[in-house]
Amino acid sequence: MSPDFLNFIETFLNGLMAGVMYSLVALGFVLIFKASGIFNFAQGVMALFAALTLVGFQTGQVPFAHLIRAIFGVEILHWGAGMPTILALILTMGVMVALAFLIERLVLKHLVNQAPIILFMATIGLAWFLEGLGDLMWGADIKPMDVGLPSGGSFWWEDLTATWAAQGSDYYGMYIDTLDVSAAIIAVALVVALSLFSQYTATGRALRAVADDHQAALSVGISLRRIWVIVWSLAGFVALVAGILWGAKSGVQFSLSLIALKALPVLILGGFTSIPGAIVGGLIIGVGEKLAEAYIGPLVGGAIENWFAYMLALAFLLFRPQGLYGEKIIERI
Amino acid sequence: MLYREAGDFKTTYREDNQTFPIKSERILFWAAMAFAFLVVPFFIDSYWEKSVLVPLLVWALVALGLNILTGYCGQVSLGTGGFMAVGAFACYKLMTAFPDLNIFFVVLLSGCVTALVGMIFGLPSLRIKGFYLAVATLAAQFFLIWVFNKFAWFYNYSASGQITAPERAVFGIAVTGPNAAPWATYLFCLTILFIFAWFARNLTRGRVGRSWMAIRDMDIAAEIIGVEPLKTKLSAFAVSSFYIGVAGALFFSVYLGAAEVTEAFGIDKSFLALFMVIIGGLGSILGSFLGAAFLVLLPVLLKNLFVGSLGWPTDVAAHIQIMLIGGLIVFFLIVEPHGLAQLWRLAKEKLRLWPFPY
Amino acid sequence: MNVHIREDMSRHTLRADDGIATGGDLLKVDNISLSFGGVKAISDISFDVRKGEIRAIIGPNGAGKTSMLNVINGFYHPQEGVITFRGKTRSRMRPHEAARQGIARTFQNIALFKGMSTLDNIMTGRITLQKRNMFWHGLWAGPAEREEIEHREAVEGIIDFLEIEHIRKTPVGSLPYGLQKRVELGRALAAEPALLLLDEPMAGMNLEEKEDMSRFILDVNQQFGTTIALIEHDMGVVMDLSDRVVVLDYGRKIGDGPPDEVRNNQDVIDAYLGVPHE
Repeated sequence: MSPDFLNFIETFLNGLMAGVMYSLVALGFVLIFKASGIFNFAQGVMALFAALTLVGFQTGQVPFAHLIRAIFGVEILHWGAGMPTILALILTMGVMVALAFLIERLVLKHLVNQAPIILFMATIGLAWFLEGLGDLMWGADIKPMDVGLPSGGSFWWEDLTATWAAQGSDYYGMYIDTLDVSAAIIAVALVVALSLFSQYTATGRALRAVADDHQAALSVGISLRRIWVIVWSLAGFVALVAGILWGAKSGVQFSLSLIALKALPVLILGGFTSIPGAIVGGLIIGVGEKLAEAYIGPLVGGAIENWFAYMLALAFLLFRPQGLYGEKIIERI
Repeated sequence: MLYREAGDFKTTYREDNQTFPIKSERILFWAAMAFAFLVVPFFIDSYWEKSVLVPLLVWALVALGLNILTGYCGQVSLGTGGFMAVGAFACYKLMTAFPDLNIFFVVLLSGCVTALVGMIFGLPSLRIKGFYLAVATLAAQFFLIWVFNKFAWFYNYSASGQITAPERAVFGIAVTGPNAAPWATYLFCLTILFIFAWFARNLTRGRVGRSWMAIRDMDIAAEIIGVEPLKTKLSAFAVSSFYIGVAGALFFSVYLGAAEVTEAFGIDKSFLALFMVIIGGLGSILGSFLGAAFLVLLPVLLKNLFVGSLGWPTDVAAHIQIMLIGGLIVFFLIVEPHGLAQLWRLAKEKLRLWPFPY
Repeated sequence: MNVHIREDMSRHTLRADDGIATGGDLLKVDNISLSFGGVKAISDISFDVRKGEIRAIIGPNGAGKTSMLNVINGFYHPQEGVITFRGKTRSRMRPHEAARQGIARTFQNIALFKGMSTLDNIMTGRITLQKRNMFWHGLWAGPAEREEIEHREAVEGIIDFLEIEHIRKTPVGSLPYGLQKRVELGRALAAEPALLLLDEPMAGMNLEEKEDMSRFILDVNQQFGTTIALIEHDMGVVMDLSDRVVVLDYGRKIGDGPPDEVRNNQDVIDAYLGVPHE
């Protein structure tokens, strides 16, 4: 095989890995949208918040340390040596569930029956609130995330692929980060678990019923509010996983919340209500973005990753407004 | 008793169509205008100009523009920052390419350029709606910022990638550049805002505004009645972008003086503008002003309170500010989805009957 | 607030004479078929609407009545068939073009603009008649203002006719159902249509409201000479109001003619009317 072709494969594979990560974030959106018709803009910030909290617990930070110092002049940044990752994970999940509960109590309950766009804007407000809260609790500095996932290039794969190239060509093998691989595996596992959950458990059935028709679900005795708490907790869980994986990759920092923006084109492509759509859409965007950066980027000066996904999604929308897996929209009057 | 409409009879449709149908309201309005135009310029200093009044005027213009698109025509846009950047860079290019052209016309032309760009990015609105469109406008935001970063022609190949406004004058009085007097920049922005607000009010009370609102309230029915979706949506995009472009031009040339595109016109600006419109009131001219005032003044007040009075570090204050703004957005959406403007209307309703409500 | 000028409505009724004599074919629908995916909503339906008449379209739920109206005003595009309106055969057409040609309608589920007042809603109906461009409207003073006032006068005429003066400036969202229906009729009338399509104008109304609405429909037809095609389930109303009736069932036409004839048509009785209770 020629090095050019191998490079293409490498880009493609890296695109797939990135795509899985996008899918993961998009999945959080889809969960909430299906169950409540809310486009949750705060999903990315939830990932940031979860990651911050996890790191905070792990390293034993004191929440609101800076605020406490500002008000009382007491300097307590740490309360100890931290805690084991597992315990921190469980506690963080607890925080996310509590958050889901509070969101339902304080926000959603009061916005029932509002226009979708109002709810959308409310989640933008929520995103800002959580962002400020996260920073205020844990500080805005960049923190490393270490939950024991392997990282670094895979030598095995590099050696293996080096032998694929034609004899005599300068080809040193493909670079693939093991962190990306484990992230992809975790993401796939999560998706499978979620589909099993929604397919085979009573709660899952209730979730799907609510997604289909709120009124009908209510009439057979499903508590909408309980379902919403569950769904937001699930989304919080997905956000936690996404936060861990993205945080391990690039550190826990503000830019983590911007992955929400990355997920938007994925959603457009896949449709807001389809889990397979989120996955396939994520892969398409991941691959498309990496390929475009590698092959179109140099022609126009690079750094097109920021907007390419949007343009791709937009071009797609013009031909299929309902997304990949959405149903054809028949307008009625 | 001061504010009443009893006895204030209208005998022609012309009188009935007035912007301020009630006499005391008219008096109040013109008194406020007289204060803004004739009194404030004599007392304005550099602090008030740079941190309160000029940003307030510029953001009010942005909010007005976005309100036309989102509040009146129902098309949510997250591309405001990008469109402001178009206005700013058009202004910069025009200022440097035609040094003799009056800044007033430069600003207007920048608006025209932005209107064209806005219409191009408004084209998808014909096929896609709601959040899908919001996401599409994000494409505009990212793409435009990228363009202004990537192609050095836009910033005249300056090494830093910054654009800096040269000094330009109106009637021989500098309004841009480091030597501009506070009262001059203030009056320049105020005049433009006054004209634009008046124009927007006229547009929204007549046929044009009705066709926008028809599309907003029920697009299918609107089309069946004879509102042309293409023309209507694009006209909203054009007018809105025109306003935002003019505001962007002022933001850069009069307020900032020098700007770097990612920092000055990033996505946070898009959200800020959207928040102004929501808090102020969707579909209300007055709301645009109230929303802009609220979100320009709030950080100033908070900063004075936390950093100035309590002596907290600025980053803590900044985080609290973000939290508060986010919380307020949610609060407003829950309590009064129609924003400050609606609160004002309700207050007027009460006042109209006061002191004998029954 | 008390603006009230009585208008001579006849001045504002019909658009430029289209050369069709009363009783001539205003609208002809030939062999229309419409399907969504595999579902046939309308198959091979033909009928005509004569100028000046009240034409009723009846049939059980899901018979394709609303789809038929949607086809007539260009909202749906039939796969087969020809529509001739005012002597012109129409190619594929968007709804707003149909509106411009003089077709106005009301909707089964009220489709008013909830954020606007009654006055603005009815003014919106005249959008196809207002000509001044955006620039003039932005300046307001002068031509745009004159235009607005001129149309306001016409709209006040309609408000007067429908007896809704008292809710002129009320946001329509807060009006009771019956009044909303009336405002919607007003909005359609404001366009001075050559053909008025009414989709269940009396659905959900009580007897009194139905009587009011019937009177308005008759008045529109008789005073202004507006041709009306309406869908209605209340047989009493249909038989009283309409000059001729089309009966649809499962997307097919099963009857067409004057009310008496249709009433005694065996197909129609089987499909829709049932046997009268003795």
